[in-house]
Order: sequence, then C-alpha cells, then structure tokens
Amino acid sequence: MKNITVIVRNLPLNTRRNAEALRMSVGLTLCGDKVTVIFMDDGVYSATPAKPELVGAPTLKKEFEALPMMKCAMIADKPSMEKRGVKSLVSNVKAAGRDEIVRTIEGSDIVIPF
Amino acid sequence: MQDMVIMATELDLRGEVCPYTFVKTKLKLEELESGEELIVTFNHAPAVENVPRSLKNEGHKILGIEEKGDHLWKVRIRKA
Amino acid sequence: MKLGILLTSSPENENTHTVISLSRAAREEGHEVSIFLMYDGVYNVHKKEFAELTERGVSIAVCALNAEQRNVKKVDGILFGSQYDHACIAGDVDRFISFG
Repeated sequence: MKNITVIVRNLPLNTRRNAEALRMSVGLTLCGDKVTVIFMDDGVYSATPAKPELVGAPTLKKEFEALPMMKCAMIADKPSMEKRGVKSLVSNVKAAGRDEIVRTIEGSDIVIPF
Repeated sequence: MQDMVIMATELDLRGEVCPYTFVKTKLKLEELESGEELIVTFNHAPAVENVPRSLKNEGHKILGIEEKGDHLWKVRIRKA
Repeated sequence: MKLGILLTSSPENENTHTVISLSRAAREEGHEVSIFLMYDGVYNVHKKEFAELTERGVSIAVCALNAEQRNVKKVDGILFGSQYDHACIAGDVDRFISFG
C-alpha cells in the first residue's frame, strides 16, 4: 500500500482543475492506496462551504461525500487560510499547521500537485 | 435451469460518471456474498467498457453486457 | 524500474516535450514507462510523438471521461480507460512524476 498525497492549489472558479483533482483523488483510492488531499494556497477556497453553482461552476458535493467514504483524509493549510481570511471549512476537512502538512508530504510515496 | 432462479441485486447508476460508476459498483459488490450476482445499469458509455474490465481485474466475472436502448446498458456481474 | 507519469496540461505546454523526452530516455535505459493523460492532458493523444512512444513500448492510458468532455476521439494503441487505471499505475510503479 502506498501513501499518495494530492495538493489542490488553484482558485476554484477559474478552472475545473480543483474539481478534477478531487475526482482523481477518489479514483486513486481504488487500488488500496491511502490518499490524503491537502488544500493549500488559493486551493483552500475549494474547501470552504461556497456555492459555485450560483455562477454556473460545478459543485464539489459529490467529491466531498465520496472522499471520506473512501477513507481519504483532507486537510487545509492553516497559513494559507489565515492569509486569505478563510475561517470555515466544509465538514471532513480539518485545518492543519505546516508541521502536519510537512509530515504528511514526508510520509508520502507519491505527491501530486494538481 | 439453475441459473434462471438466481436472484440478482440491481444497481441503477444512470447519471454517474467515472470513477463513481466503479466506486459504487465496488461498494455494492462488497455487500454481496461470493457467487451472488449484481446487475448494474449505466448510461455513461466509457463506463460500459471500463467498469467490466476493472472488475475482471479484481477477479469478478462479467456474465453479460446488454444494450437496453440509446446510451443505456446493463452489466451482469458475478462476485468473486 | 517502473516509472509512472501523469500529464494534465495541453500540448502547447512545455510539459509535453519534457514527458516525451523523459519517456524516450527511460525506455532507452530499459525502464518500464506508463503514462496517464487526464484533464487537458488528453489533448496530447493525437501528437505523433505519443504514438511513437507506444511503439517504443510505453504504455499510455487516457481518462475517457475527460476525452469525451473534450471530444477527443479514440486512438489505436492508447487505452481510453478510467481513474481506476490511473490508480493501478500509481500503485504499481517505483517512481511517479506528475506534470500539470
């Protein structure tokens, strides 16, 4: 079994990248590997309870439901949140300090910045 | 004759795309006993090729793929 | 060694050139190479260099959903597969590099 970490870093509404990173993360669990998603930099906005459907962008509801079901951990980088004034996160995503982020990356066999 | 009396569980995955087509099929199979059958309905064309191929890779048996109409397929699976 | 490569950017990005060169070099050294194309990376399937890579023994798979979304048609020798195939590549390889 491998530890795979996916890093979500983009603004959520300008691109489908973040939605695709999460869909890919669901897929990466399918061969028994352990997947962790880190929301970092502008990617933390994707982990907030936003309403992208109001501007015709895809919601991440399905991904946020599936990821915990597939035992995939989700963490948001605290310094990125503080810098952007992000205070609330969707359930199942927890804020983590840089030490935990570094430990997660250090313990990964594969890191995919998406 | 014996095959005809086997009850199969049905799963409707219309509207689902990859990887959820496979995820939901896999989770449903986990609820079944070995040898039990599952019939899954898809309307996502790539899933009809890819889900059976992936399930075979996991050791399950594909008993048949039936086209039921325009962009609608039923895949019959026997759990390993 | 088994090398896995994920490519998510479109062909005008320098990543395409890097992936092609890296894959060729790895094959010349006798390594196994598997490439997964997803997101805008699926646009690379029509590049002749990718067909040449398959002839050199590189295994290439594409996310069929992303290809369908972008109207990218099937190409011989390339698997129009799923995220499950990507998971198998990630699980199987010794080294994995992502280009996006």
